[in-house]
Amino acid sequence: MTEREPTVIARTITRVVVPLILVTAIALLLQGHNQPGGGFIAGVLTVTAFALTYIIYGLDYIRTELLDQQVPATGAVESTLVRDLGPVFGVGLLIAAAGGLVAIGLGFPFLTQAVLFIEHVPLYEELELAGALVFDLGVYLVVVGALLTILAVVGLE
Amino acid sequence: MTTTAAQQVVIAPMLVALVVAIATLLSRRSKRTQRALSLVGGGAYASAVVLLARRVRADGAAVYQLSDWPAPFGITLVADELAVFMLGLTAIVAFAAVAFAVFYVDSVGQRVSFHPLYHFMLVGVTGSFLTGDIFNLFVWFEVMLMPSYVFVAFYGRRQETMAALRYVVLNLVGSAVMLVAIGGLYATTGTLNMADMARRLANAGAYGIDPGPVLGLAGLLFVVFALKAGIVPFQFWVPGAYRAAPAPVAAVLAGVMKKVGIYAIIRLYFTVFAAATVPPGAPLLTGESFLAFFGPVLLVMAAASIVLGGVAAVNQPDLDSVLGYSSIGQAGFIILPLALAAGAEGPLRVLGVTAALVYALNHAVAKGLLFLVSGAVYDGVGSIKFEDLGGLTGRAPFLSGAFLLGGLALVGIPPLSGFFGKLLVFDTAGQSLTAGLGGGPALAVALGGAVLTIVYVSRTWNRGFWGETSKAVDTARNPRALVVVVTGLALVLVAIGVGFDPVYRAAQAGAAAAVDTGGYVDLVDPTTASEALADGGNESAGSETAETVRGLLGVGR
Repeated sequence: MTEREPTVIARTITRVVVPLILVTAIALLLQGHNQPGGGFIAGVLTVTAFALTYIIYGLDYIRTELLDQQVPATGAVESTLVRDLGPVFGVGLLIAAAGGLVAIGLGFPFLTQAVLFIEHVPLYEELELAGALVFDLGVYLVVVGALLTILAVVGLE
Repeated sequence: MTTTAAQQVVIAPMLVALVVAIATLLSRRSKRTQRALSLVGGGAYASAVVLLARRVRADGAAVYQLSDWPAPFGITLVADELAVFMLGLTAIVAFAAVAFAVFYVDSVGQRVSFHPLYHFMLVGVTGSFLTGDIFNLFVWFEVMLMPSYVFVAFYGRRQETMAALRYVVLNLVGSAVMLVAIGGLYATTGTLNMADMARRLANAGAYGIDPGPVLGLAGLLFVVFALKAGIVPFQFWVPGAYRAAPAPVAAVLAGVMKKVGIYAIIRLYFTVFAAATVPPGAPLLTGESFLAFFGPVLLVMAAASIVLGGVAAVNQPDLDSVLGYSSIGQAGFIILPLALAAGAEGPLRVLGVTAALVYALNHAVAKGLLFLVSGAVYDGVGSIKFEDLGGLTGRAPFLSGAFLLGGLALVGIPPLSGFFGKLLVFDTAGQSLTAGLGGGPALAVALGGAVLTIVYVSRTWNRGFWGETSKAVDTARNPRALVVVVTGLALVLVAIGVGFDPVYRAAQAGAAAAVDTGGYVDLVDPTTASEALADGGNESAGSETAETVRGLLGVGR
């Protein structure tokens, strides 16, 4: 998109850093219910990974290489992106609300949480899965959807 | 602890609005589905409120602990008679407005998320009325304000953008002040739960609370609620914002969101802060309830609002401006009996709050109706400026009739509810006068305000609806669906006045709940387990948790 290609250093570092960011985001999402982390910060982190790839490689690269799509004329790219991202935060809200409504279905007050411990998980040893994870996942999707939409719209300008 | 369906009803209105908001967000691709969902959602919201009201009338006020965390740690929802009264008023206006919006808002407007935003606004309003947690109140205020920012800027022309900028900046400042005040209250009282705060303030010495800072912070918080209620000196955003917003949203802004500020004043100052007494050292008021401090402040603000709103409404160039300024004056009429109630005690205080509630209901429905009429006129004629209007009675008899009813309700002509509202306001002022509590100035202001209301309503009627048929009116089209909605709401307004007895009883129950601090505290029961343990576990409601703690500590085995 830009006339000047980013340097090799920038591209290589992006390649290394983006997976790290995404793994950290997932870790933060999983532990968010009782430790620093949660859906919001995990979502923001994920968006930074996307933003980095946007800036270094450009939107066209993501669409052709990662999503295997035809690239239409410039300008239309972002607007289809906006349209595709639209449902993401809607679905996120739905997941978050449904996570709370399940508790009502089971006869507890709205948003009641439960915890499940899973033993012998590689890396984690003991994984604590909280009901709040569903809510966090919804928040995660809302944040990712909203911020990527903002990025795409601002990218249009 | 499992929760029965009867208890889940407490949260039902909020959940219905939330689910509808999400459903309309996800169905954006199909406009037809979205509109249908929105309309059905409005009806479902009203039914949920009716269910809750029935439940509260049958079994008394209900408490709901979100996430099953006990008070004062979790977020408490309290559906008492006061909250239910406000929800009822919301349901009437919100349903009418959404039915109006389905036909009114053009397709571009529908596409930019009118319906999801509308229902999110409803979620915020419902949450504000139900919550029993002061920080949670802040959150619901924000939920309610975010969509309203978009709505004020909805048409995005020069005037609307300017009004929106003013509205957003003012409310952001208000939110910041509210957050600071709430943080301060938490620092001084050590709790955010309203019932717990009332309990601690009633016995400030035992909990080591200095009432001085609490009074100051309560005053700071009061500014925010006055801003939301749009009373003098925080009224200046009102006409611009109402003019800019689409008509159905203006109906909700004026009819419902204004009342959220008034509700917050009633709930926090009459239920919570009334328990505290002014510390020694303050001139005149030492040993009196906090309410005695706020009474004169409220009185001055109410009087100024009535006068300013009434005078300014007389000579405005268009329909919405008249209605906007009239809202300031009418909010003054709601605050006036509250001011007198704050200075009184016992039955007179209940009467004052009842008057405020009845007047709030009347203003919500009447002003909502008038804004919808204005929207329908705009849709049909293409203008709401008086220079383009004239002779509407001939061309649009139903719209004119609805406007006349709304106007007469503002003036207070029997059998409309406005008459009973005004009657109760004057009754409060009169009784306050005979009790020697300074109702004289209030009575004078109320009389003057009533005359001003007659003047601006009749002037608006003369300029817009009677007289020569103007060219624009002559070529106007007839927005049939809108007229049906408006007529329906007008009939509801008449029904409230004709069948006033149950409404009055509901308002009275709401007022009694509002001033009954002890009842509110007992209802929520914010006694913590450790306190119950210290008391020997004798308190009936706290004993269960005390047992748990005792088990954990290994005591008493």
